[in-house]
Amino acid sequence: MRDIFNELSEAIADGDEELSVEEAKKLIDAGVAPLEIFGECIQETLNDVGEKFSRLEIFLPDLMMAGDAVTAVQNELLPLMKGGENRQTQGRVVIGTAYGDLHDIGKNMVSLMLEVNGFEVKDLGVNVGANDFVNAARDFNADIIAISALMLPTMPYMQDTIEIVNADPAMRSKTKIMVGGGPISQAWADEVGADGYSDDAMDAVNMAKKLMEQLKAAS
Amino acid sequence: MNTRAQLLDLIDRSLSGSIVSEQDFDMLHVAKAVKRIVKKYDIRLTQPDRFLSTDEDLLDRVWEAAVEFLAECGIYSKDTGRVIQYTKEEILALTATVPSEILMGEGRDQVRCVARKPDSKNPCLNLGGCVGVPVPNQYFEPIMISYLQEPLVDMTSVPTMERFRGRDIRTKSPLEIYAAYDEATRMKEIARRCGREGIHYHGISISVSDIGQLAAGSFMDKRDGMALGVISEFKVDNTILNKLTYGILRDQIIAAYANPIYGGLSGGLPGQILLLCAGMIMCSALLGSETPGTTPTHPMMFCSTTKELLQATNIAFSALAKHSHIMPRLTGTQVGGCGTKTLLYEVLTTAIVATKSGFAYLKGPRPATGVISGVCSGLEARFQGEALHAAAKIDYEQAEHIMQLAYEKYKDDLPNKPYGHPFWEVYDVDTVKPKQFWLDMYNEVKAEAISWGLPMDQL
Repeated sequence: MRDIFNELSEAIADGDEELSVEEAKKLIDAGVAPLEIFGECIQETLNDVGEKFSRLEIFLPDLMMAGDAVTAVQNELLPLMKGGENRQTQGRVVIGTAYGDLHDIGKNMVSLMLEVNGFEVKDLGVNVGANDFVNAARDFNADIIAISALMLPTMPYMQDTIEIVNADPAMRSKTKIMVGGGPISQAWADEVGADGYSDDAMDAVNMAKKLMEQLKAAS
Repeated sequence: MNTRAQLLDLIDRSLSGSIVSEQDFDMLHVAKAVKRIVKKYDIRLTQPDRFLSTDEDLLDRVWEAAVEFLAECGIYSKDTGRVIQYTKEEILALTATVPSEILMGEGRDQVRCVARKPDSKNPCLNLGGCVGVPVPNQYFEPIMISYLQEPLVDMTSVPTMERFRGRDIRTKSPLEIYAAYDEATRMKEIARRCGREGIHYHGISISVSDIGQLAAGSFMDKRDGMALGVISEFKVDNTILNKLTYGILRDQIIAAYANPIYGGLSGGLPGQILLLCAGMIMCSALLGSETPGTTPTHPMMFCSTTKELLQATNIAFSALAKHSHIMPRLTGTQVGGCGTKTLLYEVLTTAIVATKSGFAYLKGPRPATGVISGVCSGLEARFQGEALHAAAKIDYEQAEHIMQLAYEKYKDDLPNKPYGHPFWEVYDVDTVKPKQFWLDMYNEVKAEAISWGLPMDQL
């Protein structure tokens, strides 16, 4: 990362929204293109934040605050982007906790880690019905549906989502489904036809990247 | 404590508290409040090398901080979008009214659960059971027998059936009701056949939503414990309040639990200490649970036996024991599975930290992080009972010494996830006796613990 980005990077890592916007504006005024700010500074900072979290050097609130700071900068920079000059995303993900399951901290960790690693994420929250995942994925034009469950009797509802997507071959060909959470295993994911399984938040990011590669290769 | 009047007051507050978005609750009421209060009370690990703290001043600060945090944070009602809030004075007044003694179970299987202190000579009770561990239906009965036949198992809980009569069990559906009924009635029948018909049973494991608990709760005895999980962090919804209302109206023992996630909204270890202590005050004083519980969870290892979690548990619950007569329950979640020494060493540190932090009873073990099919057996519950009895006989410094030795034995194994073997590979399923290799392993670790000074041979 070039030195000119140090202040913005630090402000984001500190989760300081106001200062982050201020530093981003300074860069724009100095003639730095918004895309450069995203590509060279923000993405790299977020990768670093994500790695620190995976080593528990920082914690969920720090991750949340860094995410909020980036959103604030994004809101400031997006109107300045020229047509066609879009921030490159890793992929689009809808994520939520299976129907009947109200546990959200693990899911939130995954959601934030995906965001800080460059994915566009629509978080549907907890207790999400099987059809609601599918409808949200269609509306959001999602590449990946990510479903989490902590309780055994909520797992069949994950399978329902997979079956609903399977029933629409056009959607299935362009949508990957990944699952995770306490009682989920690779064997169960294979059995129900999920495309990916992950053990923790960092693993989920790697799996999402792998699934995006598969989608790109198939298209 | 008039729990019915208190319940109505809680419901009223859930309908009249200040309206806050869930996101703001997480960030402002929990995360930022944790940060501020941790700083204000200087909550930190003052003896980083020790598992068992001797810093009395820290315990006083943790208690004060926990009460202040609970008053500031409140409990979020997800269904009404409101914060159920109590003042510090109200929290302290309600805490003073919680019971310090309770009878659990019936008849000759009944046990007396009492508030303990870290130096209490009476052992922490042993709730031997593999709560939440998924098991194939055909092994439910032999697994339960393996626990119920152990004399040092004072109370029990059941594993979670993977399927019900060949069907996936779906929460909020008729199958949840049927499976909950099946769990409660089968558990009672198996206990009767084992000659332990009055044993305290902690359930209903299969009932995630309220409908299973409400439909099958009448098949539990009033001296059984109704499991009631608070949503992390400091949140309830009507599902939880429905269960609570039903339990209180039945005069059933309410076994509420709150499991703060290390690295989550609590941040690091100081925040974890704060939330553990405040969570127990919430469950006990505000939700009316006679025996509140926790299983602090590591976000990468999914266990309660890492060094920092054992340290946090000790400090939080020693503070609770010093300043209240709440009767907390620890649920031990281990990484090691059956047929591994790792599990037994982890059970040792769990049993010692429970005993020397003033817990009333210890639930578990939950081998292989409690999520691997069939990985649980009665032998580790026997080992846990022996360790609990022995730990009550040694002093604090001996306990610290043994924790250091036991932790050294397993710390490097945790990332390797030694999940071990399922029940049918470590027990003869027909005779319900442990296989020789598992018994040998148990005897070796027990002998080693005795050589370290833990008198597991003097029960």
